[in-house]
Amino acid sequence: MADMKAISEFLQKGRAKDVKELVQKALDEGIGPQEILEQGLLDGMNIIGQKFKNNEVFVPEVLIAARAMNGGMEILKPHLISANVQDKGTVVIGTVKGDLHDIGKNLVSMMMKGKGLQVVDLGTDVPAARFVQEAIAHNAKIIACSALLTTTMKEMEQVVKAVDEAGLRGKIRVMIGGAPVTDSFCRSINADRYTPDATSAAEAALAFCQNIA
Amino acid sequence: MTGKERIALTLKGSQADKTPWVPFAGVHAGKLLGYTALEVSTDLEKLVASLLEVNRLYRPDGQPVMFDLQIEAEVLGCDLVWSDNGPPTVSTHPLAEIQEIPTRIPSPTEGRLPLELEAIRRMKREVGEHTALYAICCGPFTLASHLRGTNLFMDMILDPEYTHALLAYALQVSKKMADYFIDAGIDVVAVVDPLISQISPDHFAEFMTKPFSELFSHIRARKTFSSFFVCGNATRNIEPMCTTAPDSISVDENVNLAQAKQITDRYGIIIGGNIPLTSVMLYGNQQDNMKTVVELIDSVSTKNLIVSPGCDMPYDIPIENTLAIEQAVHETEVVRSMVENYQSTGIVFEGALPDYANLERPLVEVFTLDSATCAACTYMMASANDASRYVGTPIDLVEYKYTIPQNIARCREMGVKQLPSIYINGKLAFSSIIPSRDELVKRIREAIA
Repeated sequence: MADMKAISEFLQKGRAKDVKELVQKALDEGIGPQEILEQGLLDGMNIIGQKFKNNEVFVPEVLIAARAMNGGMEILKPHLISANVQDKGTVVIGTVKGDLHDIGKNLVSMMMKGKGLQVVDLGTDVPAARFVQEAIAHNAKIIACSALLTTTMKEMEQVVKAVDEAGLRGKIRVMIGGAPVTDSFCRSINADRYTPDATSAAEAALAFCQNIA
Repeated sequence: MTGKERIALTLKGSQADKTPWVPFAGVHAGKLLGYTALEVSTDLEKLVASLLEVNRLYRPDGQPVMFDLQIEAEVLGCDLVWSDNGPPTVSTHPLAEIQEIPTRIPSPTEGRLPLELEAIRRMKREVGEHTALYAICCGPFTLASHLRGTNLFMDMILDPEYTHALLAYALQVSKKMADYFIDAGIDVVAVVDPLISQISPDHFAEFMTKPFSELFSHIRARKTFSSFFVCGNATRNIEPMCTTAPDSISVDENVNLAQAKQITDRYGIIIGGNIPLTSVMLYGNQQDNMKTVVELIDSVSTKNLIVSPGCDMPYDIPIENTLAIEQAVHETEVVRSMVENYQSTGIVFEGALPDYANLERPLVEVFTLDSATCAACTYMMASANDASRYVGTPIDLVEYKYTIPQNIARCREMGVKQLPSIYINGKLAFSSIIPSRDELVKRIREAIA
């Protein structure tokens, strides 16, 4: 019998091939796709996220675990769709205009997927207006902006303004993060939430989507 | 004692007369003369003029000539995106889709290397007698990531052999760069590798110990000091970094300096750091900066310590904040009382402000940290003295030093935000940037008219 704990553990070790095989095995044995998702893949990603937050694992381990999760998701996705398993919410994410750094943004994206959220990744150098357009197009509840530079972090304010101007304040939350960003900067530009690391960002996004924050 | 002697003594493990100060003014240097980041990254004359202004105003014991981790990558085929207010960013990675090991080593005539090397030679001639010059060498790991992109992180797990080979190549580039810098006369080769903060101590031991040890040993064999700069939260890797035996390590604000220093002290390695770049230097005021630096110095023993920003200074850091930091490092006790007096609610302004609307003659008031010790204040006071002789009519000129509690109270009363500043007839005329004699004379005459 396929073991959800084993899926989680293989995922944490980044063993994509083993994760895929076990997910397939679990499906073949009739285990529900939601159970495989929650107790196997998301459980593994959750543990990696906590360890990342505690400085027990670092970027390579997270990337390799996320690769294993994506492998498992490829197998699982069609079954999730046919079983009509709902996403927990949609996030539009990107690095702000003028900034090409994507490692941090990618980590946040992975952790959010690891929480079962749908993530629309707009890449880097994303203008404020595009964040809003894409959020509307995908019915996203969250816009997540990343910046690594002290010069580009100011662009985050433009995103907040664009959300305001579109009349979407309160309906779409603006989350911000990146090396130079701080909580006081978040307050100064009137964004909804700053988080210091990828795992906290995913937790905050999930809480927003579940309307508990 | 010159700044250069101060740095050399400190890096040899001895205690200098004062704690050394190394402002990492990369593109920020351009701000001092109104040049963009792009200009000081590509134009030799503008770069050298800006660096000399850093030397003049910030009174560094050591200063970097450029703080640009993209110079090697640019030569090796990475495309760059340029900015007016930040260093360039790598936008393409030639090895992103191909697992090859390059063989090409940059020559000193390629890309912006001639610019950088000539700037080092010029700075050496101009200020090299009294200031230690730092060259920034892109660390092997960050250079490898410029070439390979994010895949390098996955390679560490999926293809260790390739990772080792790519790092060995990057090491050869770094060693050659160090040679070029040393040949040009640099005093300290700073190997800057921000990505070190993103990997585990185990991965550090597996991949980084060898190339970094070899690099620092190479620099030492050439009788030059070395430093290992890391940005980001590298707390877990401080000890592994020490095992590679650089002369010094410089850390970012995410690292607790006191805890890190306990480790570096054990290894006899000098630590540098770690004034917060954004919250304090960029967005704080002068008092925040003075207070932070005094507290930073108080948190550790000053032996084996260099005070510097956490990483490359943002372009837009207010000049007066860096002036205040220099004072706090070099005149710690004086600044400590300034901070105490500023915070004290007991000090109230006892005098009366002049009746600015009805002055008998022009009144020039110069508010300084202390014109005896702060370079910018000295220049501003000198400029005011000089101008007063050229106005052609008698004026009143007075200096208010922040070292005196009543002057702090006066600053509050007047709403003086930055030091040094010149007020003419009670109105702010110049702050932080020192006016030329002609500019100041013109403003005084306007006030008379």
